[in-house]
Amino acid sequence: MPFNDHYVIIGNGPAGNHAARTLRKKDKDAKITIISDERVPYYYKPKLTNFIADEIAKEDLMVNFLNSYKAKDIRIRLGQEVERIDSESKTLFLQHMEKINYSKLIIASGSRARVLPAMSRYANHLKFVTSYTDVMAVKEEIRKAKDFFIFGGDLVGFKFLRLLNSMGKTVTILIYPNAFWPYNLTDNMLAQITESLSKFKVDVIVKDDISIIDDKNGLYRVKTQKGIEKNVDMVFSFNGLIPNIDFAKGSGVDIDHGILVNEYLKTNVDSIYACGSCAQIYNPSIKSYTTSIGWPNAVVQGEVAAFNLLGDHKIIESVGRKYFDLEGVKIKTIWWEDIDDEV
Amino acid sequence: MKEFNIIIEICGSAGEGTISAGEILSRFMSGQGFEIMSFDSYPAEIRGFGKCVAHTRISTNRIYSPGKLADVLIALNDKHSISQLSALKENGLLIYDSQPPRPHKEDKSVVGWAKPGMISYGIPLNMLAHKAAGNARGMNMVALGAVAALLHVDQHGFTDSIKVRYGKKKQIVIDSNVNSFLEGYNWTEKNIKKIDPHSFKGMTPSKQKEKLIINGNQLVAQAALVANLSFYAGYPITPATKIMEILSRELPKHGGVLLQTEDEISAIGAVIGAGFGGKRAMTATSGPGFALMTEFTGLSVMAEVPAVIIDSQRAGPSTGMPTKTEQSDFNSAVSGGTGDCPRIVLAPTDTKSCYEATILALYLAEKYQTLVVVLLDFFLSNSIRNINIPEKPSSKYLDANIAPDKNDLKDYQRYKITKNGVSPRAIPGTPGGMFFSTGLEHDVYGRPNYSEAGHLEMTQKRFAKFNTVLSEAPAPEISAIDRDEFDIGIISWGSSAGAAHETVMSAQKEGINASSFSSMMVSPFPEKALIEFADKCKKILIPELNFSGQFASFATQILKRPVERLNFITGRPMASEDILQKMRDM
Repeated sequence: MPFNDHYVIIGNGPAGNHAARTLRKKDKDAKITIISDERVPYYYKPKLTNFIADEIAKEDLMVNFLNSYKAKDIRIRLGQEVERIDSESKTLFLQHMEKINYSKLIIASGSRARVLPAMSRYANHLKFVTSYTDVMAVKEEIRKAKDFFIFGGDLVGFKFLRLLNSMGKTVTILIYPNAFWPYNLTDNMLAQITESLSKFKVDVIVKDDISIIDDKNGLYRVKTQKGIEKNVDMVFSFNGLIPNIDFAKGSGVDIDHGILVNEYLKTNVDSIYACGSCAQIYNPSIKSYTTSIGWPNAVVQGEVAAFNLLGDHKIIESVGRKYFDLEGVKIKTIWWEDIDDEV
Repeated sequence: MKEFNIIIEICGSAGEGTISAGEILSRFMSGQGFEIMSFDSYPAEIRGFGKCVAHTRISTNRIYSPGKLADVLIALNDKHSISQLSALKENGLLIYDSQPPRPHKEDKSVVGWAKPGMISYGIPLNMLAHKAAGNARGMNMVALGAVAALLHVDQHGFTDSIKVRYGKKKQIVIDSNVNSFLEGYNWTEKNIKKIDPHSFKGMTPSKQKEKLIINGNQLVAQAALVANLSFYAGYPITPATKIMEILSRELPKHGGVLLQTEDEISAIGAVIGAGFGGKRAMTATSGPGFALMTEFTGLSVMAEVPAVIIDSQRAGPSTGMPTKTEQSDFNSAVSGGTGDCPRIVLAPTDTKSCYEATILALYLAEKYQTLVVVLLDFFLSNSIRNINIPEKPSSKYLDANIAPDKNDLKDYQRYKITKNGVSPRAIPGTPGGMFFSTGLEHDVYGRPNYSEAGHLEMTQKRFAKFNTVLSEAPAPEISAIDRDEFDIGIISWGSSAGAAHETVMSAQKEGINASSFSSMMVSPFPEKALIEFADKCKKILIPELNFSGQFASFATQILKRPVERLNFITGRPMASEDILQKMRDM
């Protein structure tokens, strides 16, 4: 029996799926496996808030239906977590203690919600809207709850705020300038966002911080350092995302905030590539590593990683929107091109 | 109250407590007021570590069949559970051991084979069992705890059920099991983010009167006891052995005698001997044993001696597949043996009717002085239901022998020609009631007689019993009886009848105008009722668990029209989903 390559992709988001699709187009015989710790197939994360509001059904959230993997002979393993990588023996160790051998590996594991170090002691009180699993855990509760406290204020956070407003909920938001991590909002930007939010029925708090969150009789009491006190049903944290790469530690792959890759999306280990929001990409022009966000960037990176894994030498470029609109403030989505933020 | 229906399967290796866990789950759910049906499959071999599956269907509504695909699969053993994934719904839940004691090679872990639509919850079953009790034996209880937490089941009620299950064991055993359950429950509640919709919250039915949790074999034994069985002879064989096990314990307490014979031939011989002596007697066996008994069954019919054989069918021929269900003894039960040999054959259609059929069999055998075969199968013998405590039979069913009166005894004719074929039967020792009894053709006194007229007369006498036996049988069960016409009529028998009935309900929801017909008495068969039913149906479908369509061929002879057949020999019970699919294709 001839030996076929086994390409393994960690992550089932836009980068991972487009990498898999590209690999299959170029190599009909290889075994391709996607491994994801999420338990649902490829879905539109940006539409999670619409799903919470019941504006769309679960089916509308899905990008790839299960039969499409079967049709492309791509094996997908959902709800399975990679615990570590042994790059010397080219083996993945899954959390349930299964060993999987790979010929080449693409890490496209995306990001998870960032919990601020000062807030980690309140982690049990905090809710997130980062993944389908997060949303399923809070969807019904959101429907019943009346009073909300949001702190941080990244892209999803402001989208969520609008949603709660449309649902007639009472909302307080404490904006952190660094919620759009790794980006920091300037005072000017902060002022414009506050102004923009004035059209909503929402209490905006700036230049303050949380001192206490406690749980009393099913309600949360949130107290700020400046003495503002709110009793709410739910507390949400929106402080950006951090790369989901704990499993890669100790593998020999260079890591900073994310997986370090060159402009070809290749890591320092020969057979391992990384793409999407878990990767920090080297930019020769500024001689530094930068990260990217956004769906279109992830798609292109997935495709480029796949091409290069198969022997090509494509250099990554940014695509799609170069700016995100944060309540009227335009923030760049890429850091390796010479563009300015716009206020 | 919303309609709630869920199938939970536990898959493990023999010795891992798979069946015990299933039993606890069933008992607890029954105690909560749910309808339950559970069915275990296990290896035929006594030794070894073969695959065991405990399948439990839980519903707020009446259950007719075990269902085909599970909503939840608890994998206690990865190797066995990989193949069991094919019986899990595409969006089913898989609960697996996330921290096994040794690493799995690639593709040797069950979760690696979970289809993408399935939702996998990894629970450290092994680790938690060690934490709770110091060894892995409690993995089954950890898994039950995890399921209870995931499906929002009351943990206190569950632990009470565990205490009851292990009540006769040492306290350390009870504590280990309860602690393992709680470890699984608490860990899951704390660590698992649930994303599936399955939940028992708000589904618990109102408390009903106490129910009996019992399988077909247990009901056969119970029925035999309340129907005054006084002699049982048998040779152990799967899946009928349990009947003998129970009776060996209970029959002597009721003044009866149980004899384990050297083989099945001897067993049926002893039963006929006891029947001749005026005792209510029976045996229980399976296909291979029934084959051995065949020669003797002719004696029961010819000598007009009451005898009851319970044949719990399994996949054949020969030794076949001892722990797999099949309905392939129909031909041999109805017409096996030599000569024109009319016999009564009853085929219970569900667990409860195993009780009714056994009482009826002992009654009919005695009243009509003939052989009665009761056709169970592996599924009916072993599937567990919660049923209302069955009523004791009326006195009519307890003593049915038609004894000779004084006039009869003046010139006693044991085989006197009567209108219904039944002659007064003198029990040996009855003054003036002496007679010959033989397997040879005979005259009215029992003396051998080979004349043309005599053989015809006696054959007619033996068949004449059939004319009245039918009136003693329960009426055939027909669904949607109020309608005049059906697009499809399903005719079924035995254990497939439940799935057929359930299919009709599903079909009607899909707009398929369907009905079903089944009769507990299959020999003699209620032909008139069958023809009346078939006349209302544009198409006829006959599903059964054998390859050749034994019953379909039998029914075709009565109906004299083509029928669609649906035959499975998978070793699993009939599934309504398969019947429905066939109906859609018709």
